[in-house]
Amino acid sequence: MARTQALLIQIATGDPRPISKQIVDGVRMKIATGELAVGAQLPSVRGLAQQLTINPNTVAKAYAELTGEGWLESRQGLGLYVATPRQRLSNAERDRRMDEAVQGFVHEVAALDYPPERALSRLERALRVLAPKKTA
Amino acid sequence: MTEPTPSEYVIQTEALCKRYGAKLALDHLDLRIASGRIHAIVGANGAGKSTLFRILLGFLPPSSGRASILGRDSQHLTPTDRGRIGFVNEEHTLPNWMRVAAVTAMQRHHYPRWDQRAFDEVIGHYHVLPEQKVGQLSRGERAGFNLALTLAQRPELLVLDEPTLGLDVVAKRAFLESLLYSNAAGQCTVIYCSHQMEEVERVADNLIILERGHLMNMSAPDDFCARVMHWVADIPFAGPAPASVPGLLQVQRIDGLHHYLVLDQDEDFADFLKASGARSVQSMPVSLDRAVNGFLAKNHAVPAAA
Repeated sequence: MARTQALLIQIATGDPRPISKQIVDGVRMKIATGELAVGAQLPSVRGLAQQLTINPNTVAKAYAELTGEGWLESRQGLGLYVATPRQRLSNAERDRRMDEAVQGFVHEVAALDYPPERALSRLERALRVLAPKKTA
Repeated sequence: MTEPTPSEYVIQTEALCKRYGAKLALDHLDLRIASGRIHAIVGANGAGKSTLFRILLGFLPPSSGRASILGRDSQHLTPTDRGRIGFVNEEHTLPNWMRVAAVTAMQRHHYPRWDQRAFDEVIGHYHVLPEQKVGQLSRGERAGFNLALTLAQRPELLVLDEPTLGLDVVAKRAFLESLLYSNAAGQCTVIYCSHQMEEVERVADNLIILERGHLMNMSAPDDFCARVMHWVADIPFAGPAPASVPGLLQVQRIDGLHHYLVLDQDEDFADFLKASGARSVQSMPVSLDRAVNGFLAKNHAVPAAA
């Protein structure tokens, strides 16, 4: 049986993002960067709750969202595993979210008065972590 | 989800009032808390929490209205009914002169449903020895011992009133762990009164806000948080009259910018600000701590000249 892989994510209270959203973001990032490989087993709901000192229902909610979006799949009686990638969103929804992400980024950068070329090269470097798994 | 039937509520009040002289501590409170999960109750000092629990546990009669706990009328609780309820207060009041083993034996004798495994599971989080006197325990150890005793009763309803007040970070964590992951706690409904939003965010499935004896919110903490937004507007000269700002919780003028904390406002709020002369507007979500504090601060009395 596959062993549970450690899930090294942090949550912070007092953040505008609810804790369940922080878990969703953290797990998605680990999958996107390849740190959590396809087929890796996630910690149990109770285990991750204990690791983060939070209510198990919060972890269950995050796992349900990740499963619903196709990032994780449950194997009957065994637990949750990283799913084989597929296009998880409709094209329109994907475009909408990309627009949202770009706009958010541009707004932040505009406030910093950072030259666009430098911002672009920084962005490119930051995106390189996604490279090992660029097919989706 | 289907609406729970009356027996599925652990706590139910109907038009519950408690009057102290000219002041209403509870003002026609209609509260229904469903069975299961962890419910956090927050409210400013004087919101009526203590009065509510004294009435629910039958220590105080209501001025009018009705209150029931675990389906029993609060004014007619039998010792058996009380045995189904666990109560842990911030003082963790236990007899200082008794030894841990003697207190444990006494409680075991009192409660017919005593569960030694539940006691051992919780006390295992703490370095508490049977021969120690209660007075020699640290505050954190006393809290853990108290929780272990209470969970060993196998209560159906566990009421915790500011249980971690004054505990250091290590003791606090041990307390939360024994509450969140012990089997005994998982089998009862938990009511958690706390002012510490950091804890509420970690433990609560449901957030109940009481204010001046009224029920102000009953929803998942995330859902409450999503109702509050922080808007910043650049409005030259005076902003709109506070009374005209929809959903206003708090307004502050900082470095010439107007900061508004508002409840239940959508994107139309930007139009309102622009119509009020704003040159630019921005908005952002807030943390649970900020949302609750802003909400409670709204009706907080301030001196007339402030």
